[in-house]
Amino acid sequence: MKELFPIKQVMGFVFSLILTAVALLVYFLDMSFTAGITILLLTAFVQAGLQLVVFMHAGETEDKGAIYSNVYFGILVALVTIFGTLLIFLWDM
Amino acid sequence: MDFFNRFAIPHPSFLIYASMVAIGLTGIAVILGITYFKKWGYLWREWLTTVDHKRIGIMYLISALLMLFRGGVDAIMLRAQLAIPDNKFLESQHYNEVFTTHGVVMILFMAMPFIMFFFNFVVPLQIGARDVAFPRLNAISFWLFFMGAMLFNISFVIGGSPDAGWTSYFPLAGNDFSTSVGSNYYMIAIQIAGIGTLMTGINFITTIFKMRAPGMKLMQMPMFTWSALISNLIIVFAFPVLTVLLAMGTMDRLFDTKFFTIGDGGSDMLWANLFWVWGHPEVYILILPAFGLFSEIISTFARRNLYGYKSMVASMVVISAFSFFVWAHHFFTMGQGALANSFFSITTMAIAVPTGVKIFNWLFTLWKGKIEFTTPMLYAMHFLPLFTLGGVTGVMLAMSAADYQYHNTMFLVAHFHNVIIPGVVYAMLAGLTYYWPKMFGFMLNERIGKWTVWLMSTGFILAFIPMYITGLDGQARRMYTYSEATGFAPLNMVAFIGAGIMAISFALLVYNIYYSVRYSPRNIGNDPWNARTLEWATHTPVPEYNFAVMPQVKSTEAFWDAKKHGHEIFKGKIEKIHMPNSSGLPFIMSCIFFVFGFSMIFSIWPLAIISLLGILGCLVYRSFEKDHGHYIPVEEIEDTETKLRGAK
Amino acid sequence: MKIDHSLPLEYSTEENRLKIFGFWIFLGAEIMLFATLFTSYFVYEHRSGNGPSGAEIFELSPVLMETILLLASSFTIGLGIHAMRLGKQKAMMAFFAVTLVLGLGFLGFEIFEFTTYIHEGAGITTSGFTSMLLTTLGTHGLHVTFGFFWGLAILLQVKKRGLTPETANKSFIFSLYWHFLDVVWIFIFSFIYLKGMM
Repeated sequence: MKELFPIKQVMGFVFSLILTAVALLVYFLDMSFTAGITILLLTAFVQAGLQLVVFMHAGETEDKGAIYSNVYFGILVALVTIFGTLLIFLWDM
Repeated sequence: MDFFNRFAIPHPSFLIYASMVAIGLTGIAVILGITYFKKWGYLWREWLTTVDHKRIGIMYLISALLMLFRGGVDAIMLRAQLAIPDNKFLESQHYNEVFTTHGVVMILFMAMPFIMFFFNFVVPLQIGARDVAFPRLNAISFWLFFMGAMLFNISFVIGGSPDAGWTSYFPLAGNDFSTSVGSNYYMIAIQIAGIGTLMTGINFITTIFKMRAPGMKLMQMPMFTWSALISNLIIVFAFPVLTVLLAMGTMDRLFDTKFFTIGDGGSDMLWANLFWVWGHPEVYILILPAFGLFSEIISTFARRNLYGYKSMVASMVVISAFSFFVWAHHFFTMGQGALANSFFSITTMAIAVPTGVKIFNWLFTLWKGKIEFTTPMLYAMHFLPLFTLGGVTGVMLAMSAADYQYHNTMFLVAHFHNVIIPGVVYAMLAGLTYYWPKMFGFMLNERIGKWTVWLMSTGFILAFIPMYITGLDGQARRMYTYSEATGFAPLNMVAFIGAGIMAISFALLVYNIYYSVRYSPRNIGNDPWNARTLEWATHTPVPEYNFAVMPQVKSTEAFWDAKKHGHEIFKGKIEKIHMPNSSGLPFIMSCIFFVFGFSMIFSIWPLAIISLLGILGCLVYRSFEKDHGHYIPVEEIEDTETKLRGAK
Repeated sequence: MKIDHSLPLEYSTEENRLKIFGFWIFLGAEIMLFATLFTSYFVYEHRSGNGPSGAEIFELSPVLMETILLLASSFTIGLGIHAMRLGKQKAMMAFFAVTLVLGLGFLGFEIFEFTTYIHEGAGITTSGFTSMLLTTLGTHGLHVTFGFFWGLAILLQVKKRGLTPETANKSFIFSLYWHFLDVVWIFIFSFIYLKGMM
């Protein structure tokens, strides 16, 4: 039975629950927008990275380089699209 | 009767009825012809169900040429309408429809399948692979594209064409201002074709990364393969934006959501924004493979290795990222502030740098080369100066302050035709001439070919250079007519003549195909151009399995070095070869997609639900299907090889 | 088909390796698909017209339940793949079944959430904000629904055909998909709900 629950994945799950709880602080505590959004950004990206490495085994094959480049490129383009659009529509309109 | 009324044309005219009759007659003629010659079985077995990348490539080519004809007729109609002031040839509504379909057809249903043809036909051969990574998916990609294109093209005889421009900006494309189903066609036909394109992107990235011949490192891939890789990378990240955007547009039109409405919190400008988040990378999707083809052609006919291989690759990688950083230059005048405009202005000017690097590399490749002016090379030589001109006017447009003068004028129209025609179209025609012998076993006539190039460049210069001038003088794009007093008339007449000359050059291309089918010599060998890369190392015509023995590669110019230094590329003995099975599923599923799209466009919900279930049924069938492909036995390969060698 | 026994079953043939690689590329496209939805959501976030705003309709408890269900399902499918690599078909199928049940639970809560919104006058046609909110959540929800049936088909195949290079490959790719949906949900949870209720 024990071998079915590898310590790495159990820890990963526990850690993701903790991160969710930390993110919930922005709801329960009264904090500034900047502080809140910083916490959310941190917890979200750490948790996404956790999934990628611990659960999805992104780095287990020889194609590691290509897979990670693909994901990083996606994130780069995604962030530029989001922030570029925000610049056009909200911050500089 | 009410049910059928929706299929009527909202703005009928003689031209539309005439083409309706023409389409009907052609359709009947094709069906009768196939039946008379008993070719239905052949068509089904060898083409409709094929998963062979070469055949799928050729089907892309045929579609692209057909669409080139359709888009070209649209173009001639537009120029004819503008040739004289206050012309009554097309009324405004019809003019709107024609410039809309001209843009969509040329970009999405002509240029895209044309580059897909090159990806499909060339890339696996160039990297020494036997097929693409997912042959079945490749067939789905093609058929989805094809059904999307057909769906879009029936719009002008059933229900009415889209008329809000190829950019289909809201609120113009919304229900308030576009009351016919035309814009539904736009949303749904492009959606279906776009899904196919996205799958092609995934397929070719995987193919290029994982299926290269033994020994071929990434930095030893031929330049066209590099350009295909980068172009597909951009496809994978740009097309999902289009998917979301079209879905939002569809929902606004069919389900009354409030995305792009004026009131209720809608934002019509978000359409323009997201359209260009996809649209700008899209132009690099088209131009990079064109650059790749010119790199192959220039180095082949200058008889020199490509100058600056590494900087060529680096500049394409930089372009792939930067193509996503510049989109707002398409709407500098939309109302955002100076900060945003400055940012996008600077990134746009910066992207000219890697493109400039490539131009210089081509020039340095030519330097001290033994240049041979074949037809493909002549296209390349016309491309260099004309494209540079287009690039320079692009930098003019990149300046956001100055753009307030150029925006939405003929200057812009001249600019983008100036990069797309000498860039993409010349590359496609040069590549077509270059790869023609590999596909069909004979060359296109060189003499007619060179006439085509010269006529095309003459026509191009006459058609588009005048537009720069009328644009600066204030002639707006998409205006169906103008008055005598504007003074635009003489230059527009020149442009019309230029368009006519271009039409003649395309007709000459068709004549060249006819002429060469009849008169070209057939025994041309495997390598008629004395070329450099692996696709010329295998037989002509290329056997089903591409290479009997996997090639061993040591350098960028594998085949050239093998010819020069006499080392053997095909080492080892023939073994049985695993090949994928043909399947009718991609074709059938895409047909159901066509029905689904059609019923969505006309809001025929029961049929939409049934066909959606049909599509899901195809997916389930595929999931449970057992298909392990088949082996070609050694004896059969040896037979084929002997026959092909004998035919030489 | 050449089978390389030194690798896990899902990687053991050339075709399998191609499929896993290709699916990673597809996930890159999915990143951009959801990024576009997020981009649009941020533009519409405060464009609620005459309809309700996010702060008025968001409720923590159903959202928290959805989050925990999806996180747990991502954990169980990870265990399923682990069991598969140990060659324990029964355990693997059990973990997959639990995953699908958790996914179904998630969908149940999401449907409940949607009906509440519509009752509160936040339908898909109310305002730019509600159109976008329901489209973003709906796209994720449709992915989960599709994943449910996909997972079911794979479970049936594993039951019928056992753990072969093919079924193992399908199961592994499905697990990538499912984890990815969890990642997307983390961003929805953080930047739509929590940011909206902050």
